[in-house]
Amino acid sequence: MSIRLTVTFAFLIFAFISTAQDRFYTKSGNISFYSKAPLEDIEATHRSAVCVLDTKTGSLQFTMLIKGFEFENEEMQEHFNEDYLESNKYPKAEFKGQIVNNATVNYGRPGTYPVRVTGQLTIHGVTKEVQSAGTIKVEGSGLVATSSFTIPVADYNIKIPSLVKDKVAKTVKITVDTKLAPFK
Amino acid sequence: MKRFVTIVVLLVLIAAGVYAYRMYTGKVKSLEDADADATVTAIDLVAAFEKDSATANKQYLGKIVAVTGNIKSIEKESGSIVLGEEASMSSVRCSLDTNFVKKIAGLNLGNQITIKGACTGFNADELGLGSDVVLNRCVIPANKN
Repeated sequence: MSIRLTVTFAFLIFAFISTAQDRFYTKSGNISFYSKAPLEDIEATHRSAVCVLDTKTGSLQFTMLIKGFEFENEEMQEHFNEDYLESNKYPKAEFKGQIVNNATVNYGRPGTYPVRVTGQLTIHGVTKEVQSAGTIKVEGSGLVATSSFTIPVADYNIKIPSLVKDKVAKTVKITVDTKLAPFK
Repeated sequence: MKRFVTIVVLLVLIAAGVYAYRMYTGKVKSLEDADADATVTAIDLVAAFEKDSATANKQYLGKIVAVTGNIKSIEKESGSIVLGEEASMSSVRCSLDTNFVKKIAGLNLGNQITIKGACTGFNADELGLGSDVVLNRCVIPANKN
């Protein structure tokens, strides 16, 4: 076998290996939101968000079922689903975006890398551009993705009845903290 | 008569007070003692959503569903149990009520189990990861035998 062929072959194998581990995912992603309000803080956690990250392109996607948000308070959970997010009509929230500085993350070397993410966030049937800063931690065979950003409730056409307007904050802080495992 | 009116008014006020108090402090109840709205196998539940998600949503979304199936995987960290056929990409994902997460230790892969949870919807296979019906606040009912 000529050297050229061997080198080509080696590259092919390398390319194959790298494709196999390009995609990282989870189906039990942790996403929570928090809103500070004079009367009562509003807080809920989602433990079944689906997330896929393509480390080669930096493309990042999240999808979650609105009804999957768990509240401490039952009444709040009902209002959230029925009045504010109308989860029967709009069952999902979605994010499709990109790690802008994907090239600076060395997915092959353990460590914590700061990232900037930009993309389209769809909640309550409304899609808006969002930007966020976060980190990608490379550890073991997997990744941990974290980020936190604030969105204005009014952006997503979520109507807050005037009766409780002063009791509910106008912005919501969303926190993502999720492990990702290699796909297959 | 006057006395009667006073008593009625007082009772109404107390009831309103209790209601208001409950509104602000009412914790989400455990599904442990709740009756299931539907009983179905994991395979049938997935099939129903894959066939026609609009109809399945009407039937199951937001309802308390008792699902029976084989344990396909157990995710200790997130407290989830995945039910369904080993060979299929589709599953029923059950996110456990935090009080039941410790019960994971006693479960074995491949065994049949019945899990009761609130159906939060269906994630169609948009990302190439297989589709899933998702339940949360899941409890594992004790064996009645």
